[in-house]
Amino acid sequence: MDAAHHDSPAEPALRGFSLLRDRVPTDMAARVASRFAGTVQDQRDDAVATGRGLPERAVETLLMERADRDRLRAAFDRSPFLTVELGEGADEAAAPLDDWSGAPAADDPGLPGFYLSLTTGTAYGLQCPVLVCDELVRRGVLEPQRRSNVELCLHEAVANAIVHGNLGLSSAVKGEPGGYRRFSEMMRDRLGDPAVTRRRLDIFCRWNGRCIAIAVVDQGGGFDTALAPATTGNKARSGRGFVFMRTLASRVTVTDGGRCTVLQFDR
Amino acid sequence: MDFKTTNTVDATEVWLTGRLEFTDHDRLRDIVELVEQSRARRFVIDMSKLDFIDSAGLGMLLILQEETESRNIKMIVRHPLGDVKRSIELARLGEIITIEF
Repeated sequence: MDAAHHDSPAEPALRGFSLLRDRVPTDMAARVASRFAGTVQDQRDDAVATGRGLPERAVETLLMERADRDRLRAAFDRSPFLTVELGEGADEAAAPLDDWSGAPAADDPGLPGFYLSLTTGTAYGLQCPVLVCDELVRRGVLEPQRRSNVELCLHEAVANAIVHGNLGLSSAVKGEPGGYRRFSEMMRDRLGDPAVTRRRLDIFCRWNGRCIAIAVVDQGGGFDTALAPATTGNKARSGRGFVFMRTLASRVTVTDGGRCTVLQFDR
Repeated sequence: MDFKTTNTVDATEVWLTGRLEFTDHDRLRDIVELVEQSRARRFVIDMSKLDFIDSAGLGMLLILQEETESRNIKMIVRHPLGDVKRSIELARLGEIITIEF
């Protein structure tokens, strides 16, 4: 996350904020609140969807058991700092210990931003880069005419995090004869494994007057960052995602052994 | 991504709509089956209604190129626009695939 914070001084204190309890078991909400030094508010589901009856300043965190496009748009409309999909089985004893938290990333309360944490099962096919870019435009951070390039870069980082990170699939398979069929089958297998689809995909956006930084974090096995291609042969079946990112973003930094990609765009 | 197909004596045409991306590997299998069944000399992929293509989608085009080449079928990517055209140009795909802009 270093690259995402290079413009701001380090702040050791966590940001204190309120939690909106949305169909989250009481004990879990309490543990989350404790973790973030926040407070818990009960809120009826329909109020979350419509935004009715919410104290505007209190809603900086939204938790939901299951995310979809409409629920995420409704959540973003509340301008929370942290939006977390807890995922199915959220009331199991182990779930609160899942490492979904944005705590390490939320160490600078001075910079505006937002943090979205989804399960892989939801993120796959959700086109969350579209939602995130919509939100950046809505908050006046991203100019509409620059949106297309930012969205492509974010899409590539998210695709890498899902496919190569959390699903643990290597593109090398595609290079074999008929490999795309095998790749497709492997992807379907992994998407059917709850242990895999529970892995988290986190997208953390922060900005200041000069720069937008978007970190994409997965929980996969990482990769040798020295192998991330700056260029690729034009007949290669993979590797273009990093080329797109390096071409279109102002800076691309890969940290945490390949589990975190930080895209920066000068404003 | 969705697609529909039209067949003429000369060409099999596949009309793509929506987004061609990393979640579409199953659709690639469907399109490769069209190549395998085609008796035409040309295989046209019309992109005029395609909104978005990512690096995985471009890789799929290269696989289709190999599948058509191995059957002596000429593949043509037709009318990429907007963001799709941008991605194809960034990847310099026109150097190895016939593209009609």
